[in-house]
Amino acid sequence: MEIKIPIGPQHPALKEPISLRVTVDGEHIKDVDIRLGYNHRGLEKLAEQKNWVQNIYVMERICGICSHSHTTCYVQAVEQIQGLEVPKRGLYIRTLVAELERVHSHLLWLGVAGHETGFDTFFMYTWRDREIVMDILEIISGNRVHYAINSIGGVRRDISEEQKKLILGSLDTLIKRTEYYANIGTIEPTFVARLDGVGPLSKEQATSLCAVGPVLRASGVANDVRKDDPYAVYDELPFEVATATSGDVLGRVIVRVKELLESYKMIEYLLKNIPEGPISVRAPRKIKPGEAISRYEAPRGEDLHYVKSNGGDKPERLKVRAPTLANYPATVVMLKNMFIADIPIIFAAIDPCVCCAERTVQLIDTKRGDKVMRFSELRKMSIDFYKKMDLSKKGNLWKL
Amino acid sequence: MKEDLIIKQLTEKFGSGISETSNPSPRRMFATVNKEILNEVIKYLRDTFNFYHLSTITGVDKGDFELNYHFANELTCVTLRVTVPRAEPNINSICEVIPGAVLYEREIQDMYGIKVANIPDGRPLVTSDDWPEDNYPLRKDWTFERPKEVIPGEQNGD
Repeated sequence: MEIKIPIGPQHPALKEPISLRVTVDGEHIKDVDIRLGYNHRGLEKLAEQKNWVQNIYVMERICGICSHSHTTCYVQAVEQIQGLEVPKRGLYIRTLVAELERVHSHLLWLGVAGHETGFDTFFMYTWRDREIVMDILEIISGNRVHYAINSIGGVRRDISEEQKKLILGSLDTLIKRTEYYANIGTIEPTFVARLDGVGPLSKEQATSLCAVGPVLRASGVANDVRKDDPYAVYDELPFEVATATSGDVLGRVIVRVKELLESYKMIEYLLKNIPEGPISVRAPRKIKPGEAISRYEAPRGEDLHYVKSNGGDKPERLKVRAPTLANYPATVVMLKNMFIADIPIIFAAIDPCVCCAERTVQLIDTKRGDKVMRFSELRKMSIDFYKKMDLSKKGNLWKL
Repeated sequence: MKEDLIIKQLTEKFGSGISETSNPSPRRMFATVNKEILNEVIKYLRDTFNFYHLSTITGVDKGDFELNYHFANELTCVTLRVTVPRAEPNINSICEVIPGAVLYEREIQDMYGIKVANIPDGRPLVTSDDWPEDNYPLRKDWTFERPKEVIPGEQNGD
């Protein structure tokens, strides 16, 4: 007998709102249907109402983890339309932050993979090391999550000699630890047995369903935007495209660990070879009419922005295709004929990012006679509350 | 140059079906294609030049709708342009050639109200279940109005 189980939009195994409707026969998954739209924020419509500079920050907030990916992709397109030549040093810093972001995202993902397979020690180890990268990013940009380092025409902050030394020092720790994880990922018997053969995706399926990023590369296709369509300074950097041939979750772990090691190489090269000079050029408030397609290899795969300008101070059209959307059709194939217990790890293996936003306030209690408030009233109350506190006076404390 | 070769071969093969081609920057190529032969052009690109990967489909509202199909292989990125008249917004699905296109076509249906014929799965994708009909957010004439808040359990919200 076949039964339909809804998983999500709110579910302990999923971190973000998406609904999987899984048809099962016993423990076997027969079919999967994915429903999106719980989190659609209308950013493309919003972007048409903001000016070019404001949009950098709108793009930054598409995603918390690949915040640098989206801004870089966007500013690259705008710079191409305007014909701006970004100084080499600016591009180096941009690439440095991009690779650090990849390290932070992949370490985070390794932790999630450990957690979903019940290997919580691994999760705690990788997330401890992720703090090192977060600290580096904070040193460079001043922020841990939304780095806000990009501007149209370059980057906003320079990097000093002391910072370089500090980063190179902590990089050694990271390299040592990642090599240890590479060992665990490939040798540790319980981990390998849990992931081997889970969520299979053949090379033909991966290409025909337009999968991207580590999912595609784990199926043996060596496609990487950094190599195929080099942007920033990737044409100067020494690195290899990480692939695996197994096409299962284990392959996706291996690809990400290999990419981590490649990223460390690149970071070292970038820090040692960064040229002197200015970090940005001035950009006008109005951008010439034109259009551009910008592609970027985010930690999760190919990110694409299409920007069209009509000569004004706002974009005519800004299209964003984030990597996770491209991997959904492949996820459906991966889940088929697997077990219910494999759903969290297979779904986590594409590194899904449904994007966090949309906060709602619900104060529903009419029976007990509690005060029920509209959101606008609540907002007004909070503004009044802070006004009354008057923290500007010396000695005034927060009332708790 | 790879782009020149693709432009040359496309215009030779399809003649008047390809009306406008350009190569504005390295690794970027645009071609305007007649809507009737879109599937044939995509099939030809896929089989001859290995364009298996559809990055996405971008819609642009220029009065009439313009759909941009962004394809990529290891060497270059090709964009095929199709114009869809606003009066009859219809287009054929490309899913039989590129199976991975289904989500992007569903997004186009939701956002522009362009009816995609022969789509394997035509349900709404990004809009919510209670989204009002004939509201297509990315059309230029659509503006957002915040609906009045309704508190469950209260009447009319007053």
